[in-house]
Amino acid sequence: MRSKILGLVGIAIIVVSLVVVFVISRAAAQGAPKWINQDGDWAAGKATLQAFGERFPTSEAMFDALKKAANGGKPPTWAQMGEPAFDWSGVYTRSKPSLQYDLDLPPEGGPDSAKLTPAGQAVVKTKADQLARTGGEYDPLSDCRPPGTPRWFSEPFLKEWVVTPNQTWLMNEMVNVIRRVYTDGRGHTNEEDAYPSWNGDTIGFWDGDILVAHTKDLMKGQYQRGVQPNYSEKTTVVERWHKVDPKTLQADVWVFDSVNLAKPWYTRQSWTKLTDDEKLLRLRYWDCRENDNNKIVVNKDGTSQFPGFTFVPKEGAQNNAK
Amino acid sequence: MRSRFILPLAFAASAIAFPAMAHHSGAMFEPTKEVTLSGVVKEFQFTNPHSWLLVDVKGPDGKVTTWGFEAEGPSSMTRAGIRLKDFTPGTPVTITGRPMKDGRPAALWVKATRTSDNRVFVPARGFAVK
Repeated sequence: MRSKILGLVGIAIIVVSLVVVFVISRAAAQGAPKWINQDGDWAAGKATLQAFGERFPTSEAMFDALKKAANGGKPPTWAQMGEPAFDWSGVYTRSKPSLQYDLDLPPEGGPDSAKLTPAGQAVVKTKADQLARTGGEYDPLSDCRPPGTPRWFSEPFLKEWVVTPNQTWLMNEMVNVIRRVYTDGRGHTNEEDAYPSWNGDTIGFWDGDILVAHTKDLMKGQYQRGVQPNYSEKTTVVERWHKVDPKTLQADVWVFDSVNLAKPWYTRQSWTKLTDDEKLLRLRYWDCRENDNNKIVVNKDGTSQFPGFTFVPKEGAQNNAK
Repeated sequence: MRSRFILPLAFAASAIAFPAMAHHSGAMFEPTKEVTLSGVVKEFQFTNPHSWLLVDVKGPDGKVTTWGFEAEGPSSMTRAGIRLKDFTPGTPVTITGRPMKDGRPAALWVKATRTSDNRVFVPARGFAVK
């Protein structure tokens, strides 16, 4: 009897050990933390996700590891499009009305979560000095050029999403931008055909109900106005998109930029589905030429100004614009 | 870096704090000073990226000046409960805004009260997440 019990215990130990080894090895293979909700200790969760990004020398290595862990990924079928995880329908906006690229940062503060290179710090200091000296600035977007990516994440206007098995469209009302994430198995644009553009070139795959994306070939820009850092044409981005509840879509975003960032900058971006019972909300076309009163020019001191108004008689370019 | 830049950063961050012009810098407007005027709507330009409410204001000398009040575009205005039909030409209003630093008759629209029903319209409410 005793030997039987010992035998069963031994078998149980072996089975448990095998399960533990399997789970650990699978976790190691996956590498990435599972989706971390923000309803717990988010500071710890954010640190985990920041550290995960820092394990990789490049965004390409990170994306490849995530893809390998997902066994290459598997696109959803058209039949799955109606499932809650893939139904991203509705009109969304940023979950907090903030112009901070990192939503966790208070409005009255600098980009403290970004680990900047000396060059990146110098850019921030120059912006701070400009604002301290003049009380203002000029935003290149004032002429309706696109925000570009990664700034795209920090814009507060309406957003819509279209998920299909082969492509996902991420649309921002501001300046009519559509980011296309190709999930049909294609790679990035060939090196000889690639060039920098506002939103770059984005490919991705589905790891269950998480859309993983990689973006490269971006134009340089700034994360937002104020004292937020710049990003260079070396910038690349890894994103993990997930619908966390019926009204919330979130993305883990790691930005790699050897010019401005000493380490990848991890942030959790979030959008909330707006209540629109009357179906009034629309993403409408943006063009600064719609209204001459919306023309903005840059002053000699680097601040912004209206050059003239249609409602003021005999108005002309009488300001001190460049 | 934080300790070296804390003062200028704190000052600078206020330049992007909400509610502000989310599409262009609001540097041309007074940061805190407000002006309140009464008049009648001349035109409501419901346009992207910014809307303009033009209001004819009669001065003490009887001279009429057209003031322009800038707000966000139609989507944000809709979210704030402000519709094009709310301000047809001739509608009497009392409107408060942050005026231009250079003295021209324009301002950032803070709130407008329609005289006929005392309803208050605040464009900044268009960024509320609900």
